[in-house]
Amino acid sequence: MITIALPKGALLTDSINLFKNIGLDFSAFLDKSNRQLQISDPTNTAKALLVRAQDVPVYIEYGQAQLGIVGYDVLKEKQPSVANLADLKFGYCRMSVAVPKASPYRSSVELPPHGRVASKSVNCARDYFRSIDLPVEIVPLYGSVELGPITGMSEAIVDLVSTGRTLKENGLIEIDVLYESTARLIAHPLSYRLNTDNLSDWIAKLRVALLTSCD
Amino acid sequence: MIHQPPAGARDLFPLEVAQKCWINDRLQEKFQKWGYKRIVTSTLEWLDTLTAGGAIKPSTVIQLQNNSEKTLGLRPELTASIARAAVTRMAGNTYPQRLCYRANVFRNPSQNRHGRQLEFYQAGVELLFAGGVLADAEILLLLADCLEDLGIQNWHLLLGDAGLTRSLLNIFPNSLRQQVRYCLANLDRITLENLPLEPALKEQALLLFDLRGLPKEVLAKVAHLDLDDTAKTIVNNLKSLIDLLNHSSPVPITLDLSLVQTLDYYTGIVFEVVSYQGNQSHIIGQGGRYDRLLGLYHPQGETSPGIGFAFNIEDLHSCLLPTGQLPQQTLASDWLVIPQTPQANGAAFIHAQKLRNAQPTVRVELDLGGRSSEEIKEYARTCRIKNLVWIQEDGTAITESI
Repeated sequence: MITIALPKGALLTDSINLFKNIGLDFSAFLDKSNRQLQISDPTNTAKALLVRAQDVPVYIEYGQAQLGIVGYDVLKEKQPSVANLADLKFGYCRMSVAVPKASPYRSSVELPPHGRVASKSVNCARDYFRSIDLPVEIVPLYGSVELGPITGMSEAIVDLVSTGRTLKENGLIEIDVLYESTARLIAHPLSYRLNTDNLSDWIAKLRVALLTSCD
Repeated sequence: MIHQPPAGARDLFPLEVAQKCWINDRLQEKFQKWGYKRIVTSTLEWLDTLTAGGAIKPSTVIQLQNNSEKTLGLRPELTASIARAAVTRMAGNTYPQRLCYRANVFRNPSQNRHGRQLEFYQAGVELLFAGGVLADAEILLLLADCLEDLGIQNWHLLLGDAGLTRSLLNIFPNSLRQQVRYCLANLDRITLENLPLEPALKEQALLLFDLRGLPKEVLAKVAHLDLDDTAKTIVNNLKSLIDLLNHSSPVPITLDLSLVQTLDYYTGIVFEVVSYQGNQSHIIGQGGRYDRLLGLYHPQGETSPGIGFAFNIEDLHSCLLPTGQLPQQTLASDWLVIPQTPQANGAAFIHAQKLRNAQPTVRVELDLGGRSSEEIKEYARTCRIKNLVWIQEDGTAITESI
């Protein structure tokens, strides 16, 4: 039986809908009263694990789940050894540099050398500032990153932006986009190569479902 | 201060050693039955030697500093060392050379893998100065023979061919070829789809990405591609190899033509042995053909073919542990020899030696004093020692069974 790792949060509903299209119904995870972290679909053909988005690639890499859905941002940050199979197109957001509207900075290169940048995605932020040859101190935060510049702890933030509303309401503006992100279908590399439990059939069905949902 | 082994390193205690020896002794015995002779190479090598093949990145080698002129490294595998030793020191010997080893190897875990194992044990073979289908078949059949002997269930051979894949990649423009290869090696279809390739080439790339399955079916698909002469030869050789394997012993094979590394020294068949147990998969062994590696170590750059594989002892151990085939206890001593007074010590040593000489595999230990006879019996029961022998001053021995 295949096991699928599904991400809690923004991508969950779309992910569950996608699997519903190929006959695997995990909508029990959407039920507010549900506390189970591992369920089988009603036909008992597949299992699903409900995990934090950042942990999806971990379960896949260690082979506890064969298929998973995760945002490109997580893959870029963690560089896991997983098979990247399809861009699922939903869950669009972008990794951006943002600063207080009132600040003089209008692009990343204008930020002061050795300034501070708060971010949840420390690897992406570090790589980006290295690529523009600007030495900065990355301040790791786990949430409410916008508070970095508001409280004066950092000059800028590197964070995911989807609609831009949070930035706006906190008086921040986007000055650069590092990359754009969407949800990705990933798989355990060995299971994919060996086609355990006919994994390729499920992937083929997902590709068909994707094409029809795009039309 | 508490002294601990460094993160990623560990100690093996007698029971685990006994279990791993059980595995490794069987493997070595098999290797020898197929005519392989054991070689021992240095744990330390020049970093240059280890990385010469191009497949091993210096960052994955645990490097050591001493006052020598170049950097030293702990070997991450044996192939480079054996290739170096064979071409420089075994020149003029009769060919082919069949060599085997049991050794520890070391790998520097990447930064975000704190505590990941860094010392591993391997058992493997290298068949040097021999190319061709027959040598390939020997290596795969030896591998299958070993696994059968160990009683490994549910194993599967993932087989690729670095030469064929390289030749199939030749149709891609130079500037993108390495990226296509990277996408295949790392199973990154999304990047592959987004490479700036002409539609026909992109289709070919996606076909390559999923060129795996039953050998017969994959080879049939490959036959439809536009192959150059090298590729045609390789395909024919692969067909003969598969036929030969099927004829000798049915090896469960998935032919996977995207089984390549971004950088490697393999030139012919490459393979991984995967064992599945429930949700756990282990890569229990890996290997391949390297026909250009020996030349890198030869003083005059003369190259010769070679092929080999290594079993990962830790992974084999994990597979075999639940089956109950491995020793569940360390071997108990057969005899405990107890001098009853200090004056009997000499006689006790003599008696113990007599017992040891009487049978080839008997285990005899001596009581070192300071315990009452009750404590001695309790000790014998705990340690599963069946026979006690009490020695008196005059050499009289009184045997007691527990």
